[in-house]
Amino acid sequence: MRFVRQVLIVAAKDLRAEMRTKEALNASLAFALMILLLFSFAFEPTQDTMRDISGGLLWIAFAFAGTLTLNRSFARELPNDCLDGLIAAPIPGSALFLGKCFASFVLVLAVELVSLPVFGIFYNVHWTVQLPELLLVLLLGTWALTVIGTIFSALTVNIKLREVMLPMLTYPILIPALISAMQLTKDLVNGTPIGADNMDWLKMLIGFDIIFTAVSLALVETVLVG
Amino acid sequence: MNAVAVEGVWKYYGDYPALRDVRMEAAAGQCLALIGRNGAGKTTLLRIIAGFSAAQRGKIKIWGKEPREAETRRQMGFLGHGISVYDELSALENLVLFGKLYGLPDPRKSALEWLERTGLERVRNGLVREFSRGMRQRLAVARAFLHDPTVLLLDEPFTALDDRAIAVLQRLLREALAAGKTIVMSTHQLREALELASHVALLSRGQLAFHGERTAEMVEDPGYVYARYGEGA
Amino acid sequence: MLPSLFDSTVWATLIAAVVAAVASILFLRTREFFYDALALAVTEIGLLLLAAGIVAGAITGRMTAGLWWTWDARLTAGLVCWLLYAPYLMLRSAMEEPTRRASAAAVVSILAFLDVPVAVVAVQWWLAHRSAAPGHTSGLVPASWGNILPVILLGAALAWLRLRREQRRRAADAERRTAQTI
Repeated sequence: MRFVRQVLIVAAKDLRAEMRTKEALNASLAFALMILLLFSFAFEPTQDTMRDISGGLLWIAFAFAGTLTLNRSFARELPNDCLDGLIAAPIPGSALFLGKCFASFVLVLAVELVSLPVFGIFYNVHWTVQLPELLLVLLLGTWALTVIGTIFSALTVNIKLREVMLPMLTYPILIPALISAMQLTKDLVNGTPIGADNMDWLKMLIGFDIIFTAVSLALVETVLVG
Repeated sequence: MNAVAVEGVWKYYGDYPALRDVRMEAAAGQCLALIGRNGAGKTTLLRIIAGFSAAQRGKIKIWGKEPREAETRRQMGFLGHGISVYDELSALENLVLFGKLYGLPDPRKSALEWLERTGLERVRNGLVREFSRGMRQRLAVARAFLHDPTVLLLDEPFTALDDRAIAVLQRLLREALAAGKTIVMSTHQLREALELASHVALLSRGQLAFHGERTAEMVEDPGYVYARYGEGA
Repeated sequence: MLPSLFDSTVWATLIAAVVAAVASILFLRTREFFYDALALAVTEIGLLLLAAGIVAGAITGRMTAGLWWTWDARLTAGLVCWLLYAPYLMLRSAMEEPTRRASAAAVVSILAFLDVPVAVVAVQWWLAHRSAAPGHTSGLVPASWGNILPVILLGAALAWLRLRREQRRRAADAERRTAQTI
């Protein structure tokens, strides 16, 4: 119980700090909308094209925009050596890690939930057909992005070229999760529910989330203390 | 049992030894001034004691336990080069945050108390971003003392403080010593530190060159220790 | 010779990935820098061999099917694995302090290794969805096992040479640093 409270304290701190400045949130949202807009110039918005690209387009927008938020996750602790204060505090590294994961998760999810209706408008796509399942995929895919992005945010916090290294490390490892999320989203946006055809993708996404959350938690002390 | 025990600590950066077989201890209630030239390893040693980085060889014991254990961390207060408080939060929000992180029973009450003791009660709702330098440093001191640690680790605490902050810190350190806390303080500002210190340790190129009681001669002539035991000796 | 070159490199690079992962774990346990140098050496040589294999595979595809990239399941999975480990080298070059660099690199190596099976399976599933291009194979078992052993031996030799070079470089660095402080 104390662990959960510690996670919430860290998450609340990050969210409160972000809400004061909204730097990462605004940049992330603007970037996502920009990607959606730019891609609309690239494609003829026929029904067939939309059917094919919706999943890929949405998750590219989410992943790229999400990186802006995830970069801030540990970078916000750099001024004033705030990271020292958190590491010295008597909370387990895993609580610090999960707290930051939850804060980033909420922020990235917020950007996604705004991007979806915008996508629907720009591309004239009715995406709410399988809404509950779509939200499930959104949650699972965003968690994958968040977990990997946060552990690498912690890893790269002090190195030069951090803004370049974070995406370079995150995206390749995310490939299985991104493929899964893209396939599921494509199907769900087109009205196909999750069934025998695409259940495998769901399993892969869930498996990915479980494995990498567990391994990240195991490695977090090494990453923080070195 | 010693408050702080450094047992044969070696720290390498790659193949380069920044600390070589450092053995020393600070008993309960002592105030140890850690002196040495730049690059001697004072900050490295303090950060290892505080648990921010790990020694390759040797151990640190705080009250006989590992510094990374949660219970031990609750007993330690660290004041480093950075103030470790958040610019986007107010003074009060910062202290309440750390109060919660340290599991204090009434974080808000402790926060208000320490804001008062460091003279910041009137700006408690001001964002740290807008504080003057001295105010930021006083808030950092409040953060370090907030949870009533029994072991205080301070890395050059008097450097670049304004007069008011120096006065506040000296008063708080004297009160802490009177209450039986243990202090390990690295320093360049020899006079202020040596006045408070009961013991002195000299680090020279990663090795402990001297460790003993602080004498009157040391306070009168701060260069005394360097001359007698340091590189020139 | 060419058609099986990629398949030959697959085993060598898989062994490299396992050695790197084990070396990384051992480094984190023991903090002996030998394991860090070992992980670096096998990863570099592994990436080199894999790149050669992918290029050879692409050339083969061009010669047999007229396409530079046929989205063959094994080649694509190989490319993804290459992308998993290339950042390991990038990260190392962005960090100077040897201890933090070694710890960080070890973490990346472990995470990359865990992703290899997941990524390979994901790529295979995805390509099974797509329509088959000419020259496309969707199985994971290599078409021929011809040159595997020589490539493994070559890789081991190169890795050993790389390891020795790295150890010499580190010893020289340490001497230089000690000389500077005296």
